[in-house]
Amino acid sequence: MSEAQDIVMGAVKQALSGLRGKTSLPDYESEFLFSVRHKESEQDGWTEFGENFSAVSGKAMNEVGDLVEFLKEGGFEKGYCDPELKEQVGEVLVAAGLQVSYAFDHQRVDDYVFGITRASGVIAESGTVILNDEDTVDRLAALAPWVHVAVLTDQKKVFANIPQAIENLGNSSNVIWVTGPSKTADIEGILIEGVHGPGVQICLRIGGEN
Amino acid sequence: MPQNKSRPTGRKVMLMATCLSDVFFADMAKATVEVLEAVGCEVIFPEAQTCCGQPAFNSGDFPAAEKVARYTAEVFAGDLPVIVPSGSCAAMHFHGTDLLFEDKTDTEKVENLAGRTWELFDFLVNGLGVKQWSGTLNKKIALHHSCHTRGSDTGAAMETLLSSIEGVELVEVGTPEQCCGFGGTFSVTFPHLSGEIGQVKLDSVLAQSPDLLVSADMSCLMHMGGLAEKQDKEIETRHAVQVLRDVGLNQ
Amino acid sequence: MSKSVQPIDAFARDLPRETRDAVLSSVMTRTAGRKAKLEADYENPDDLRRLAGKVKQHTLEHLDEYLEQAEAALIKNGATVHFASTAEDAREQVLAILKENGAKRVVKSKSMVTEEIHLNDFLQKNGVECVETDLGEFIIQIDGDTPSHIVQPIIHKNRRQVAQSFEELGLGDYNDDPQTITRRARKHLREKYLQSDAGMTGANFVSAESGRLVIVTNEGNARFGMAANGLHIALVGIEKVVPRDKDLGLLLNLLGRSATAQQLTVYTQFINGPRSKSQPSGPEQMHVIFLDNGRSRVLKSKERDILRCIRCGACLNVCPVYRQTSGHGYRAVYGGPVGAVLSPLLAGDDFSKYADLPKASSLCGACNEVCPVNIPIPELLLRLRSRANQEGIKSAGSPPMAPFAKLATSPKLWQTAMTASKAMNHLPITMMPVRPLQEWLKIRTLPKWSGGEFRRWMREREGEPRMDTNKHE
Ligand code: SF4
Repeated sequence: MSEAQDIVMGAVKQALSGLRGKTSLPDYESEFLFSVRHKESEQDGWTEFGENFSAVSGKAMNEVGDLVEFLKEGGFEKGYCDPELKEQVGEVLVAAGLQVSYAFDHQRVDDYVFGITRASGVIAESGTVILNDEDTVDRLAALAPWVHVAVLTDQKKVFANIPQAIENLGNSSNVIWVTGPSKTADIEGILIEGVHGPGVQICLRIGGEN
Repeated sequence: MPQNKSRPTGRKVMLMATCLSDVFFADMAKATVEVLEAVGCEVIFPEAQTCCGQPAFNSGDFPAAEKVARYTAEVFAGDLPVIVPSGSCAAMHFHGTDLLFEDKTDTEKVENLAGRTWELFDFLVNGLGVKQWSGTLNKKIALHHSCHTRGSDTGAAMETLLSSIEGVELVEVGTPEQCCGFGGTFSVTFPHLSGEIGQVKLDSVLAQSPDLLVSADMSCLMHMGGLAEKQDKEIETRHAVQVLRDVGLNQ
Repeated sequence: MSKSVQPIDAFARDLPRETRDAVLSSVMTRTAGRKAKLEADYENPDDLRRLAGKVKQHTLEHLDEYLEQAEAALIKNGATVHFASTAEDAREQVLAILKENGAKRVVKSKSMVTEEIHLNDFLQKNGVECVETDLGEFIIQIDGDTPSHIVQPIIHKNRRQVAQSFEELGLGDYNDDPQTITRRARKHLREKYLQSDAGMTGANFVSAESGRLVIVTNEGNARFGMAANGLHIALVGIEKVVPRDKDLGLLLNLLGRSATAQQLTVYTQFINGPRSKSQPSGPEQMHVIFLDNGRSRVLKSKERDILRCIRCGACLNVCPVYRQTSGHGYRAVYGGPVGAVLSPLLAGDDFSKYADLPKASSLCGACNEVCPVNIPIPELLLRLRSRANQEGIKSAGSPPMAPFAKLATSPKLWQTAMTASKAMNHLPITMMPVRPLQEWLKIRTLPKWSGGEFRRWMREREGEPRMDTNKHE
């Protein structure tokens, strides 16, 4: 133990010594945390996710074709794609005339207008995309481009709600929940999307039933 | 601490008129007596009463507050319900004394008083079951929910009775969370802050152009009314019990 | 009775209208948003607040155990854990870690605790560039200002002021469109990230169970700071620990809704240690510094409940005093109700310097009503008032109460006084004996004195049959 640690821990212990009638740790069911909307939702997880995701300005898609259309319409022509998604996504984009690279060069992060990486799951209740270190090919590729596309391939990773997603955090050293595009309301409370991270956040599910 | 649900009720009561009634609001205190009597109560007014001690308590002078609180507990000793026409003074008994006496012994009388204290409207509606006030008043009323009635049943009780009066239109006041700015000695020690806070609330009230501004606390009304009068703005203020009395006592 | 104007009262009086109105309209919107969101999502949001309050209170009361548990878990996850007893200790430790790694450029995401220890200035003086990356904090930094709100640091500024600062910094010609300002900051700060050697953050929560640090931002700046360089330093107040991972769900549900009317803040990171082996971007080293800096003293006091605070800012937004002063009126890092409790406590021996703050409240209780961890702030303010009173601190400007107590326990004296005060009606304002009352009367009137009238009426009707006093003035 370092000296500083002794001092801090000593001070904390001393502060609490003799404290009586301590509060016990309350237990509670996960359900206690569910929003009314989630409790009453009769939709399947992916549909519920889609609604909640769009409520936070995210875009949920079911077809690579939808993504192609969106990127072309928006003029987002150049980007990066996780090599693992080459066949299912990258090549479809290339065939449609978009420029896709499968290597993410840290020296030129601003050259990628879109970044396509894998999602580790979604949370239906909150409209959240989950990214963890193991599934995310490069943290920067999911963050620096203006358009981020998180691709969900594992249909089992649709978590119903926040407590379920927390139970399934797993062993990854870094899990990030993304609930919509990057945003700020710092200036006069006016909402601006796309501050440091993506201004457009997409979640594309492939291989699911429609 | 939740208010004691098993507080005594019944039609023989003691009245705690509050110190503000002694100095400014004689008419409100009279109305309280008349309304209580109109619903069949016998009102006992212990002459030795002074103040609940809140001014000293809020100033942080706990020893002074303790003296006054103990004195008041003596004055109101017994087993009758004690009725207070002020959400703020009532809260002093429910919550204030918890803190004031947390490390004290010999708190029986104080606790006993806390367990018998009712804010007037809470008593009328939830203690006596009076839910109807017959009479007519063709007025638009803005209700101010005083801060010390937060989390209590007073606000709803007041709404029940006032809205039962024929012709009364209750209007919602904006910024419901905003205080009137009074806060007792706060308004004397921090007069600018207090005035500006009150102005925000007053603007919300005036935006509804009510005929009457009504509350369960005279002190809030005094503050907002005082601000309005200085600015030559028309707003008539009334304690809710004055409204009941003016509507009629033949209940 | 103190004759001078209280500092926060003078601040409110002198605050430019424009600033006051900016603050007021912003917090009103936030207050309404918070309420609407919670009420739409929960049948009884108060149940959730109470539960969260209990969880945090329990943690505080067992903080020694949970800190040890969190430390062990963090070490197991590969993080390095440090403790700092004072602000100075913390600053030195941060600098030492940076030096060891030859780190010269730091990007920092918004953290109140780094404000508390005045880290930026210190690093700057020691040759380390430390750039704030939260848009609001960045603007604060370039203006040499201090934040005036926990969640919205530049609540006191308008777009024109921001545009001017950007122009002066050389970020383009004057343009006050918030969108343009944001894009320019994006470009400027992106370069800072990519050149950085280290990322500094605070933490919103630390789970003792797993050692997970939770860091939330809406802008994504903390994520960027942990993607563009290899060193992460988190400075964390010891009170941020919670027992279990499941409690993170409870608190996250409340934090987003209370702070910004969101179910979840956009980027919620769960950090369990340095980056994974397969991950090319992000910190190879993670250092967590647990900071005391007066917290253990607060823990010892009866006001320890304030350490439950999760810095959501809801109490600031709803506070009638904060609405007139902004955070700057509180003369310390933490403003609003939470600051009025925390600043005097954290000041330690300098308690008297901030003893006026707990008095600057009407005790309206709005703060307690919105607090996601149900902190009884009015009660804590009262405790601190009592302490100031016991310590005989005069600066706090309360009228002496002993004469009142004497009066209020002597029924005869009381009644005489109440009747005699009738004289007040005849005095012109300027002759009022008490100066603060003159101030009062400058903008308000007082009702007519009716001292003794009610008691007389009561006595006269004694014995009279009920219902015959129907007619009166
Ligand atoms: S005291 Fe409560 S309401 Fe205020 S910032 Fe802290 S958590 Fe939020």
